[in-house]
Amino acid sequence: MTDATATEPVGGQTKDLSGARDMIVCEGVSKWFGDFQALDGVTATVREQEVVVVLGPSGGGKSTWIRCINRLEQHQEGRIVVDGVELTNDMRNIEKVRSEVGMVFQMFNLFPHLRVIDNVSLAPIWVRKKPRAEAEEQAMALLERVGIPEQAHKYPGQLSGGQQQRVAIARALAMEPRVMLFDEPTSALDPEMIKEVLDVMRNLAHSGMTMMVVTHEMGFAKEVADQVMFMEGGQIVETGTPEHFFTNPTEERTKLFLSQILA
Amino acid sequence: MSELSSFVATANVPIAEPPETPKLPPREWVKANLFSSRFNSALTVVTTIILLVMSRGFLGFLFNPERQWHATATNLRLLMTHGYPEEQYLRIWVSFAVILTLTGMSMAVWRAGSAMPATELGRKLLTTGATLALLVFLAPFSARATVQWLIAALVVVAIGETFRRAGGEGETERTVSTLTLLVVALTGLVASLWVIPYGRHTYIADRTPKMLAEPGTVALSTKLPWTLMLIVAVAAYFAGIFLRDRLSVNPLRVTLAVFWLLAPFALVFLVLRDPAFDLGHVIGTDIPIFLAYAVLGGALLLWLTRPSTGEIGRIVAAVVLVAGFAMFLTPMRMIVRFDMLMLAAFALAAPTFAGGPQARKRYTVGWLGVLGVTSWLITAVNTPSTVDVPRDFPFGGFSLTLMVAAFTILISFPLGVALALARTSTMPIFRLLATGFIEVVRGIPLITVLFFFSVVVPLFLPDGMEITEIAAVVVGYILFSAAYLAENVRGGLQSVMRGQHEAAEAVGMTASQKTVFIVLPQALRVSIPPLVGHCIGVFKETSLMAIIGLFDILYIARNVIPNQFEFLGTTKENVLFVSLIYWIFAYQMSKASQRLERRTGLGER
Repeated sequence: MTDATATEPVGGQTKDLSGARDMIVCEGVSKWFGDFQALDGVTATVREQEVVVVLGPSGGGKSTWIRCINRLEQHQEGRIVVDGVELTNDMRNIEKVRSEVGMVFQMFNLFPHLRVIDNVSLAPIWVRKKPRAEAEEQAMALLERVGIPEQAHKYPGQLSGGQQQRVAIARALAMEPRVMLFDEPTSALDPEMIKEVLDVMRNLAHSGMTMMVVTHEMGFAKEVADQVMFMEGGQIVETGTPEHFFTNPTEERTKLFLSQILA
Repeated sequence: MSELSSFVATANVPIAEPPETPKLPPREWVKANLFSSRFNSALTVVTTIILLVMSRGFLGFLFNPERQWHATATNLRLLMTHGYPEEQYLRIWVSFAVILTLTGMSMAVWRAGSAMPATELGRKLLTTGATLALLVFLAPFSARATVQWLIAALVVVAIGETFRRAGGEGETERTVSTLTLLVVALTGLVASLWVIPYGRHTYIADRTPKMLAEPGTVALSTKLPWTLMLIVAVAAYFAGIFLRDRLSVNPLRVTLAVFWLLAPFALVFLVLRDPAFDLGHVIGTDIPIFLAYAVLGGALLLWLTRPSTGEIGRIVAAVVLVAGFAMFLTPMRMIVRFDMLMLAAFALAAPTFAGGPQARKRYTVGWLGVLGVTSWLITAVNTPSTVDVPRDFPFGGFSLTLMVAAFTILISFPLGVALALARTSTMPIFRLLATGFIEVVRGIPLITVLFFFSVVVPLFLPDGMEITEIAAVVVGYILFSAAYLAENVRGGLQSVMRGQHEAAEAVGMTASQKTVFIVLPQALRVSIPPLVGHCIGVFKETSLMAIIGLFDILYIARNVIPNQFEFLGTTKENVLFVSLIYWIFAYQMSKASQRLERRTGLGER
């Protein structure tokens, strides 16, 4: 299923995105860390049910951009609108956006003092005010969906990396988000665990979730993405369908990048 | 991707276990560890000689016939409660029973105790018995005493060996509950009161003070209450188990915690002081004030917790706060001002707790509860006491030490956490106030703080408000302790990784939810060692109260007893006894810290 041979069809499954509304709209987003400009006029749109993969070299601004979308970083110029709500300094807007947007981190960031099932059900209980029994039922269903229901009563420290990342995905899904952001979800894992996590992400994409993924997994990008964006130096250098991007890129920089990674 | 670019294991690769280092038999162990080289051998010999000489000297001192241990035995009541009148002793026992009830129930609800393997218990008993036998030989006992104690040591060794052999290994391992061990030990101690003739010692401080030292069994007025206390504690534990199995755990724990926080106040002002309530005053003044605030405050809070109230609610809350402060400008009862400030606090916090009818009702009931309890306690504080004690304070001695230490620890701990959160807050005003408070308090010695609060503060109080010396001292000590605790907690707060904050924010938690559920549990877990160390320090530094004239146990041991006519020059015995008591309590706190660390998985998860 993951063999990248020449006959493999390239690109995400056929979706009809023509009528889909815009989930994330970024217009001219710029961000500085002191004197260093991390984002330079980033303009992009992610539609509903679309899977966008952001590629690029380290330090190119990919993680910074994704973290700006749920306000873990604050952009200085431009507009970010998520599902109709603009991200400003107003705390109410920020909280609204955060409850619609789920995030999965590179270092998992699970809560070590809580069991797995409590990790997943904590936010629904206290943020969505669900009764505990209902939240725990939902948590078990999600853990089954990511394939690890038997780990529910263990602590995160007792799980392997791949299992931890899947718990992190379940935790993000527990809030029933409209958009899922993935910040290099498999960069801290070994190959066998990468497959576990990518399978979960693939299933998620097929079930119609809007996803924005920063990753170095080209196979995943080719198979699942609807749009691929190449970021370097804080700018989106090129964007296009996987078909176009991997077989016939326009920009020189893109070609150079692809030649380095697709040996 | 080429086929050989990554290796994926298809099955679990078996890892060989490291070779087991064989356990050495005792002789070999001694040779290998104590006499392995010339230097080690010399060191072993020298250290052993020093230890033996010191032990012999110490035991010789302890059992020297010149020692007047009956100085301590006769004055036990003085050491425990100093000036508290004997006819009111029931109050002390009732207070103690209340604390034991809370402790028993808490142990059940928080599932205290663990299972110790029987082999480990056996080994510990063996070591204890062996050490006892060794000490018996070193001590200057008469032949008869030596034989008696040796028999006791042999009994302990025999019990230990039985446990060790019956313990079993691995699958068939038998365990003993540590709680059972505790109860057995305590029952043994209490039973010994009934059986062993410790003798009856009392000190009658008349114009011609005389000493009563009767051989024989302990007085009934000592045996009976202690037995009852043991029964109360055990019964409370089982009651706690009963409740824990029937009710939901979290509300039960919160209720118990509230009772713990209220217990010191209730015990001091309602039980030990025996307040003389003036019913006319209560019905004419206190109850109407309470009803007025209950009705008006309740209506205000019900309105403020409606989600539709919005901005005007915040304005009204601010008005209440201003009114509360403005009340200080006009002469009126302190309790009216205090209730207004409490209402302001609830009003300001109301929007956070806004919600459906259920949530609003719960919040208003919370207000009524807090108002009721504080009104009741304040009324009790302000009434005169019918308990006649010298120097107008409830008592001294060990009860005072325990009371001040427990109050201080109980109340300074949440205060310290709040200060630490304020100091690391994003809002500048909180940061400034908290930093200022902590830095100022840390620069002043404890004695200065105690002096200040016992001497200067009563001068600053408005007319008609009095504060007993103990209360003033405890308040000062609480503020002092909170500043130190705040810094320990701040260290813990800073140890929580950035990723935890981000994960909590990403999942939509508000700042306070993030702090309560994610940051504080991890921060406090890490700070347990320094926090408990500080608590042990608080317990021991209570002896500084002697400088202001509150007679704690050390002062009585050093100054009061050796100044009694019969017991001149018995400082050493009394101070040794007091050191033992301090050590027992401090060691228990230390052990509790270790248990807490293990329970919260510090260093493991």
